[in-house]
Amino acid sequence: MTSTDDLIRSLASAAGTRRSASLQAAFAVTGAASLACALLLVFSVIGIRQDFADMAVRMPFAFKVVYTGALVLGASVVALYAATPGASATALYALSPAVILLALGVIFDPTGFPIMGRTNTAFVFCLRDILFLSLPAMILTFVFMRKGAPTQPLFAGAVIGMLSASVGALAFTLACKNDSTAFVAIWYAAACAIMAAIGAIVGHRVLRW
Amino acid sequence: MTVEEREQRWAEAMRAERRGEAVAYERMLKEVATALRRSLAPRLVRVGFGAHETEDLVQEILIGLHGKRHTWDPARPFLPWLHTITRYKFIDFMRHRRGDTRRRVDLPLEDWVEIVESPAYEADCSAWEVDRHLAVLPVSQRRIVRAIAVEGASVRSIAQGLATSEGAVRVTLHRAISRLLRAADPTPTVEPLPRNAHDKHR
Repeated sequence: MTSTDDLIRSLASAAGTRRSASLQAAFAVTGAASLACALLLVFSVIGIRQDFADMAVRMPFAFKVVYTGALVLGASVVALYAATPGASATALYALSPAVILLALGVIFDPTGFPIMGRTNTAFVFCLRDILFLSLPAMILTFVFMRKGAPTQPLFAGAVIGMLSASVGALAFTLACKNDSTAFVAIWYAAACAIMAAIGAIVGHRVLRW
Repeated sequence: MTVEEREQRWAEAMRAERRGEAVAYERMLKEVATALRRSLAPRLVRVGFGAHETEDLVQEILIGLHGKRHTWDPARPFLPWLHTITRYKFIDFMRHRRGDTRRRVDLPLEDWVEIVESPAYEADCSAWEVDRHLAVLPVSQRRIVRAIAVEGASVRSIAQGLATSEGAVRVTLHRAISRLLRAADPTPTVEPLPRNAHDKHR
């Protein structure tokens, strides 16, 4: 009884020391830094596509950017939801544009390119590069999430994984040599799923408070 | 205090905290502690915890509330935020305590055997004496205790013999031991005398 009163007194003495509304701002900084790191890695390690200027004005590139952009935005909204106790679960609908684009990309692939990429093993390199590009985002977002209050560590970890893979994929659009929308839709999503699984395992251990 | 009043009152106090008003914040924390104590105590009692654990959990929740107070958006209601944190801390608390209890109870098998074969009982280890002591147990527990403590069988072989799990055998053994201890405990002043006299005669 008295020890709780002591605790309350010491907690109350810290009133006003924490800046409010810092969560969204911290998240924006995290996102910008993640994307900057991923872009830096694309330019320095992987290298952008040689026919970039020609590619950048065509439909497949637009699809890649819109699709990965939708993934990043959707996963961001869900990540903020996971970091905030008592937030509305309607945030999960933010992922629906990306899901719709995925379905459209697979069903109505106008390019006619093979779904496995230009070679049969192209998807392996695609996955490897996206996972590599998503690593800085993964670390930064975990740091952010520990500042938040995730009450479902497994879920929060999975969302972090998905978000970082989306950021990695967005940067990877500059380097990706496969223009089939079905290839992009499926294998980028596969990268998200892999990172989500890793994130869930890590989050389960790291995100408790 | 109705729910709406409480929501308004505590949300206002949380806003006051951001302006640095320690007094309002302290009063709110006290009210939250009282409300938590009242709602958590019966739940914890139901699962076998007492007032001490309730206070521990209340403190955990207050620390969580304080440490994560920046994640509450003043534009959103306060109580759902608090409920989510309370629920998280409650689940966390139960998981920790369950782990602790298991570690305390789950001694290695040798320790259990030692408890049964405590040296003080060496004198009456004859088969007849053992049977007499084990008579306080129901048949199923008696069979397991005799197999482990007297015949020296392993938990696994017993579990296979009885077609149950090792865990079930351990639980039964544990129950049997506490029952034996209970049976031995209330009569330490009456029992030993005639038994010693009996031993002397032999």
